Amino acid sequence: MNKRDVIYTVLNGQTPAYIPWSCGFTKEAKAKLEEHFKPLDLEEALQNHILKLGSDIGFFTDLGQEHVQDVFGVVWDRSIDKDIGNVSGCVLPEPTLRHYSFPDPLDQRFFADIPERIERYGERFRVFQIGFSLYERAWTLRGMQNLLMDFYDHPDFVQDLLETIADYNNAQIQEAMKYDIDAVYFGDDWGQQHGLQMGPRLWHQFIYPVLKRMYAVVHGAGKYVFIHSCGDVDELFDDLIGIGLNCFNPFQPEVMDVVSLMERYRGRLTFHGGLSTQRTLPFGTVEDVRMETQHLLKMGAPGGYIIAPAHDVEGDVPMENMLAFIELLQNQPGFRENLEEKLHDNFG
Amino acid sequence: MTILDDVRKSVIEGDLNGTQDKVNQALADKTPPESILKDGLISAMSEVGRMFENGEFYVPEMLISARAMKGGLAILRPLLASANIKPIGKVIIGTVQGDLHDIGKNLVGMMLVGAGFEVIDLGVDVSPEKYVAAVLEHHPDLVCCSALLTTTMPRMKDIVQALRAANLREAVKVMIGGAPVTEQYAVEAGADAFAPDAASAAQRAKQLLSN
Repeated sequence: MNKRDVIYTVLNGQTPAYIPWSCGFTKEAKAKLEEHFKPLDLEEALQNHILKLGSDIGFFTDLGQEHVQDVFGVVWDRSIDKDIGNVSGCVLPEPTLRHYSFPDPLDQRFFADIPERIERYGERFRVFQIGFSLYERAWTLRGMQNLLMDFYDHPDFVQDLLETIADYNNAQIQEAMKYDIDAVYFGDDWGQQHGLQMGPRLWHQFIYPVLKRMYAVVHGAGKYVFIHSCGDVDELFDDLIGIGLNCFNPFQPEVMDVVSLMERYRGRLTFHGGLSTQRTLPFGTVEDVRMETQHLLKMGAPGGYIIAPAHDVEGDVPMENMLAFIELLQNQPGFRENLEEKLHDNFG
Repeated sequence: MTILDDVRKSVIEGDLNGTQDKVNQALADKTPPESILKDGLISAMSEVGRMFENGEFYVPEMLISARAMKGGLAILRPLLASANIKPIGKVIIGTVQGDLHDIGKNLVGMMLVGAGFEVIDLGVDVSPEKYVAAVLEHHPDLVCCSALLTTTMPRMKDIVQALRAANLREAVKVMIGGAPVTEQYAVEAGADAFAPDAASAAQRAKQLLSN
């Protein structure tokens, strides 16, 4: 059974031989790990089970002075956040799309390396990523405060903007379906530390119908739907399952009760994430990290779980804390046996 | 319904034009500006805060209510100044150094204005030195610091230390907040208070200054 099969097992509600994982790291954390594992390639060292294809945050033109511009024309200040950045300026200063053209969804940069990556990491579960998949794309273009007020001031514009974003995404998803992928991984943060940013009523009115349309395209092609959505959003799980969500990330333990949600949704929704990146990883001891990881592995044993830190690990996480959870994941008996069997097949 | 009830209702509904009309109408009816402020605008924003805490209002509703409140306040401000009506306190607010996230900080600022405070917004990426300089310049009662990231949260401790080093710590209260921030961290950082959201920040600020 390869890594792809293990992810299929958990998505299909069956009990896996071990808990699969797919962990992300920010540039700063990644640099520390690369240094530690060299000369081994980090992808090899981490043994992630999910192969991320496409681009979660898109492609950028360097404008100099630590500013970059994405394909939508949004300028990002990367002087502080080196991985994504913070939006600078406003592409849609007025609530209209009249003077704005969307970029080409079939830009080959999103697809060019897919065959080569599948060739190299074919044993992993392949996801095509659509980052900033709806609300986030809208606010990066319009400004967050503007967009939140537009829900009341200019509802027709909001609907028009969200539908146009979905058209762009759907064109990209349909192109991605030409490759042998397994799932589409959307990314769209709706939550705050407590509750939704826009509240459930506006979410249902504006976001939900558009999600339904995008998820239907993925399911129509027989693929799985994953979403990353930060914050306290578990009140939406039943609605999301109803329109075809298969896997939810980041499953943040600081904002939701991961154990009771796992019990409640096992068999209906798979969770990816769960390891505290706001508390345990940056501020806990190695022993704290070990205890939490072991607790999560136990929780996920019956299935429906892909373990990972609940966010790309930030640069403030001590090296020994990163190594503590990586080691526990890779030392799971089912995984080790699988790996040894494969090594035996290859070299035996 | 009195005219002040109308002012309140307009603010709660986030109706900017309606609020300004009602404030003008109240003034034409010879309602004292201080009363329009307290029993109209501030009372409405207190209700908005309560509704936010109860999960009846979310960020969009809070934003449009705050915009309506500010529209009403803009009409009242010169009249309040000439009647020598002072804000209930002065607050300096900012997002800490290394952090560019501002919506949480902006919401706290709006709710503080809505509670009757004068708010000086230092913006984002504010160094401890800038906080100290702003305290020396503006003599606030309260300093508020926001951070969204675990990587920038430690700057809050630096701000408290910088205020202490400049012998200003006793002169101001310090309140902190933001996604990763906890009550326990506020104690560790040497702050006076922690607020988990914008509505409770306004409540905590009032409590802090009444102590």
